[in-house]
Parts: sequence; C-alpha cells; structure tokens
Amino acid sequence: MHSTLVRIQNAFGFFTTVAFSVAAVIALSTFIHPQVPKATVGLRNVQVVRGRPHYYSYKKEEYAHIKFDLDTDLSTLFNWNTKQVFLYLKAVYPSTKTGEPDSEAIIWDAILPGAAAPWHQNHYIHPTPKGIKKPKNSKNSQAKSHMPAGIIKLDNQRPKYQITDISAKLQNRTDVRLELGWNVQPWVGALLWENWNDYGMWKGLQGGKSELFDFPVIGAKSAKKEKLDEEKGKEGHRLMAGQEQPRKNN
Amino acid sequence: MADQLLDQVRDAMEGQIDFEGQRLAELLTNVILGAVGIFAFFIGFMAQDITLTLYIGLAGTLVTFLAVVPPWPFYNKNPEGWLPAHVAQAGIGGIDVDGLKVG
Repeated sequence: MHSTLVRIQNAFGFFTTVAFSVAAVIALSTFIHPQVPKATVGLRNVQVVRGRPHYYSYKKEEYAHIKFDLDTDLSTLFNWNTKQVFLYLKAVYPSTKTGEPDSEAIIWDAILPGAAAPWHQNHYIHPTPKGIKKPKNSKNSQAKSHMPAGIIKLDNQRPKYQITDISAKLQNRTDVRLELGWNVQPWVGALLWENWNDYGMWKGLQGGKSELFDFPVIGAKSAKKEKLDEEKGKEGHRLMAGQEQPRKNN
Repeated sequence: MADQLLDQVRDAMEGQIDFEGQRLAELLTNVILGAVGIFAFFIGFMAQDITLTLYIGLAGTLVTFLAVVPPWPFYNKNPEGWLPAHVAQAGIGGIDVDGLKVG
C-alpha cells in the first residue's frame, strides 16, 4: 500500500470480493421469500385448420388454433431480486410413437416485468378489466398494467401463436393438455423454471394444467361462428367481393 | 527547474505513505468496504429494492477510494527515522561483513 497505484489495486481487488459476496447473498436471500404460485388453465375452443407456413410455400400444414382461459396468481414469484418472469402456455400432446417424449408447443407467452425493471415496449400489458376505466391521457406512452404483477385473468384469450406439428398433421391427435410454464429471470443468481414440487418455503405450482382434450378434424363445427377453415399465412387479408374490409395496420 | 517540477509531479502521482500509514490504509479498505457491503445488502433487503443495494454499494466504494487512495497527511504521521547519510570515504572504513572488515 505504499503508492497510489498499489492502493488503487488493493481497494479495487477487495471491492470485487465484496461485490461478489453481496451478489451471492442476494441470490440466496430469495430462498427465504415464500412462493405459492397458483394457476388455473382452461380450454375454451380448439380448431384445426389447413394453411401454409408462408405465402410462397406449396406445403400445406395443419394448424391448431386454441382459445383458452387463464387465471394466475404468480405474485409471489416477484421478490426484490426478480428482473422479469417469462410466462408461457404450451400445448402438450403425446407423440405418435410410443417411447418418444411428448411434443410441446407454446401458444401464448408474456414478459412480466419486476418492480425495478425499467419500462420496455415488450412488457406485457394486461387487458384492462371491465370495471376499471382507462386513463384518459393517452400522451403517456409508457403504459403499465392495471393488474398487480403476476395476477392474470384472461377470458377466451386468442392464442399468440398457431401451432403445427413436425409431421404437419395435427387433426385427431388425442390427450392434449395446456400447461403453464415460466422462467424467472433474477437480477443476480440462477434462472429458475416452473416447479411442481415443494422446496422449503417454495411451494410447487398448484393447478397450471388443463383437462385433456383432442384436436378435432378440420372443419369441425366450433362453438363460435368464426370462419377459420382456411388459415391465411403471411399474405394478410385479401379483398373479396362481399367480404369484410381489410384491416389496416397502423 | 524542469527537473524539480517533474520530481514534484512524480511525488504527487506516486503518493507514498509511511509504514504505519500503509497498515492504516489497508485496515480502512477492508473495514469500510466490508461494512458498506453488509449495509447495502440490509438496506436493500429491508426496502426490497435491489437498485438501492447497487447504488449504496457503489457510493460506498467511491468513499473508500477517496479515503484510501490519495496520500492524505494522516498516512504520513510516522515518518521513518532513516540513519544519517554516511559520509563516503573512499577506500577507508570499509564494509563490515560478519565482523570482518572488507574492502
């Protein structure tokens, strides 16, 4: 410690030790924060349609269009070390060959920010519930969810992604279920995925799986009157006489 | 003149402190940084705000650097009493090695 340079090196060296130790303690401190995640997942409507992956494709594939209800209380996943939670809903169905693992495909996802996370356009904004009025001043572009972090109540939610299978065939597949999953991304520490078992103060996910259902045949009558026999790919809406006007994408 | 000026600049840059000062500087580094780390964690944990931990930790580190790095006068309170300069007498007096006069 006899000269300035040596003192800088010494102080910085010990600073790194302290910083790493504090980070390790922060990562461990989340284990004393109780977690009791709960979720209810329900199927609303499922249809299988034929479409193509993109406009120039000659290949026809079968796409499943799954509408669902989701009611979660994941607020306990948010502690002081949670940066964001990536929440996703996947359809899980058994493989056609025995002995092979189930197929999984994500139909909906959301990025739920933690308290300290700065605003980002990709953060999930929960649809405003009917009772609450939207704020009038639309100048505030940094929109925030009206719901507390981790509370999600979705009714008859359209899927974000229409899923297909590697075999391009989905109709008549049986024993499909919807399953909730997540990935907790902390500020410091390890990434954690959903768990179904209890570990100390962390309880496993309660619910989070839907009843089993089947993918129907193409063109099966659905409860809704929507016409989804032919799913359009990326070609967008085409003008057809006597049909709906094309939607403008602003 | 230029040499004197350069010497002064070099002394300021080197910032040498005495032996007691070095021990004190090392002690201060460890104590302040350690305390800041513990303090930052607990304040952040109480407030459940990790940015508070980050900023308290960084501010405390800055304070430590300010306290330890510059050669403050209190690091030079115990200057070493060096032996007086020996008047060199070429060839005479010699060097004492294990009781034997050499040279």
